[in-house]
Amino acid sequence: MATDAMTQARRGRSVEGKPKFAVAFTALFMFILYVPIVVVVLFSFNSKKSLSVFGGFSTRWYQQFFHDEALLSSLRASLLIAFVAMLASIVLGTMLALALERVSSRPARITGTVALIPLVTPEIVTGVAALLFFAGLGMKLSLVTVILAEITFSISYVAVIVRGRLSSMSDEVEEAARDLGCTPFQALRLVTIPTILPALIAAGLLIFALVFDDFVLAFFTTGVDPQPLSVRIYSEIRMTISPAINAVGTCMLLVSVLLISLSLIVPRLLGRKDSSLDLISGG
Amino acid sequence: MTDQISTPAGTENVTSETPAIQLIGLTKKFGDTTVVNNLTLDIRRGEFFSLLGPSGCGKTTTLRMIAGFSDATQGRILLGGQDVTSVQPHKRNVNTVFQSYALFDHLDIEGNVGFGLKRKGLDKAEVARRVNDMLELVDLQGRKNAKPRELSGGQKQRVALARALVNRPEVLLLDEPLAALDLKLRHRMQVELKEIQREVGITFVFVTHDQDEALTLSDRIAIMNNGVVEQCGTPEDVYERPKTVFAAGFIGTSNLMTGTYSAGAVTVAPGIRIELPGHPELLDGSTASIAIRPEKIWIADFEPDMVRVHGQVAATVYHGATTQYLVNISPEIQLTVVEQNLVRSRHDDRWSDGDSVEIGWKPEHVVVIG
Ligand SMILES: Nc1ncnc2c1ncn2[C@@H]1O[C@H](COP(=O)(O)OP(=O)(O)OP(=O)(O)O)[C@@H](O)[C@H]1O
Ligand SMILES: [Mg+2]
Repeated sequence: MATDAMTQARRGRSVEGKPKFAVAFTALFMFILYVPIVVVVLFSFNSKKSLSVFGGFSTRWYQQFFHDEALLSSLRASLLIAFVAMLASIVLGTMLALALERVSSRPARITGTVALIPLVTPEIVTGVAALLFFAGLGMKLSLVTVILAEITFSISYVAVIVRGRLSSMSDEVEEAARDLGCTPFQALRLVTIPTILPALIAAGLLIFALVFDDFVLAFFTTGVDPQPLSVRIYSEIRMTISPAINAVGTCMLLVSVLLISLSLIVPRLLGRKDSSLDLISGG
Repeated sequence: MTDQISTPAGTENVTSETPAIQLIGLTKKFGDTTVVNNLTLDIRRGEFFSLLGPSGCGKTTTLRMIAGFSDATQGRILLGGQDVTSVQPHKRNVNTVFQSYALFDHLDIEGNVGFGLKRKGLDKAEVARRVNDMLELVDLQGRKNAKPRELSGGQKQRVALARALVNRPEVLLLDEPLAALDLKLRHRMQVELKEIQREVGITFVFVTHDQDEALTLSDRIAIMNNGVVEQCGTPEDVYERPKTVFAAGFIGTSNLMTGTYSAGAVTVAPGIRIELPGHPELLDGSTASIAIRPEKIWIADFEPDMVRVHGQVAATVYHGATTQYLVNISPEIQLTVVEQNLVRSRHDDRWSDGDSVEIGWKPEHVVVIG
């Protein structure tokens, strides 16, 4: 009887109340995860050059960043890479998703699975593979090779997101378009694409954010000049640690946070309940 | 026939006699399974035609072939006399109301309804005018700028209907359009559908597995089972004179009995001979199936010309407007009897389980099947 009551009480607490260790553990996890980031943001506004003592608020490191031509050209390069990779992977990834969703044969299902492999492949493997591939073709490493590598990496993401949206869209919707006088291509253009547009926008923003601050792939496939921003930061830090890097990092963080938030918000703004990122965030 | 002679030989009058839809030996196979089997049907112009059958009997598949979403394995489809068997869906003068409504989420109601007209290249003013008229017809003029997700099920259904009807197709295909609605809304929509069909005079092909719906709405009904049409006829035909055991069992409840025929009657159990009306073309000694509708069997107040049989009440079920009795007339045969609960029958008039009763019917209400 006594043990019965005890198990009752224990079970009762673990279901109803919040176990204290879980709260503490979560707090610790968040602390470890975010303290370095907070430090970077904080010290980007440091008036001193020190990386350990905060001497007061100033924007000098931002000014230095905005006058550093090498950093700025890297920023432009990263924006260009992210933009081109976003557009190309949206087009190609959507085509892949449409094809995989339509055809239900065995080869198509296998292709569908194979297309997901880049999502779980360690990025360094993809990077090395891309490097070997370009070297084998005798291509000179440059922004072009970075863009190509980033596109191949991004297609899988787009395909997954778009497929998720397509599979929740009844085939009958497209048939209705055909029924009302659309050729297959018109049905795609006038009905299917507009219906999945929020998913496309969300996927695009996500890809932009991922590619913009990607380091590993960029590191393996970039040429010398200009380098993507993440690679440039890495090589600068190895020579001198300047607080200007904190300012650059804070800017990148801002861009990423902005894009990810947009990709979550835009579908809701467009009035669709299903944000495609729910797929990734597990919502 | 005299019609044809009296009308001038213009194409219009010739086509007004050709059926809106002709299915000739239509067959659909998925792999080895035959889903629609050698279907031959003529559907007349302006007719409210229902395809009625149990789940999986091939109704949707038939509709999809008529609309062009699915290729026929064999056979031909003619629309207004034109062979469209291999014509693409967007070139067929047919519109569909999908079971799932299939509205375009990114367009408002006006955009949805006007979609087909815009595709046809009508000018803006004309599209707006016809969309307006159509929304008025389905009583949705106030919701023009709403998005589909803001509508209730019944409203979506009406948008789906309007979107198809506004194109004035020769044929409208409706795939269980009312299945998702609650009973009350469903009855209202049934009335509306029938009215709209009368008003616009378009041929309706209406798929349902609800027999009441088919009986109340249709000019003619085709009862499908396992990919074949078991019987095709007016609601009265299929209800009063079922041709197959399946048709008799599927529409309404039927008291089916099988026995040996001899000299104008069928012996369904030792000592129980059921007289058949008219002169059935049956050989003495052959096996025959007969059916009697429950509401055609009386349990009291018999009329002189009725056939009477003794039985025992096995169960009574009160249904509000009617009471249903299960009566055993032999150890194997149990008949269902439905009696109207009229004012005159007081509670103590009713029979209860175990009572010995006499039931009776008029000979002409016995239907020979097959
Ligand atoms: N694309 C397909 N591939 C294989 N089999 C199919 C396909 N479409 C339908 N079938 C099969 O064909 C049969 C008839 O399907 P259909 O959808 O025409 O039935 P239905 O009469 O409309 O039934 P319900 O009343 O349930 O809608 C079913 O057994 C179904 O499994
Ligand atoms: Mg169906």
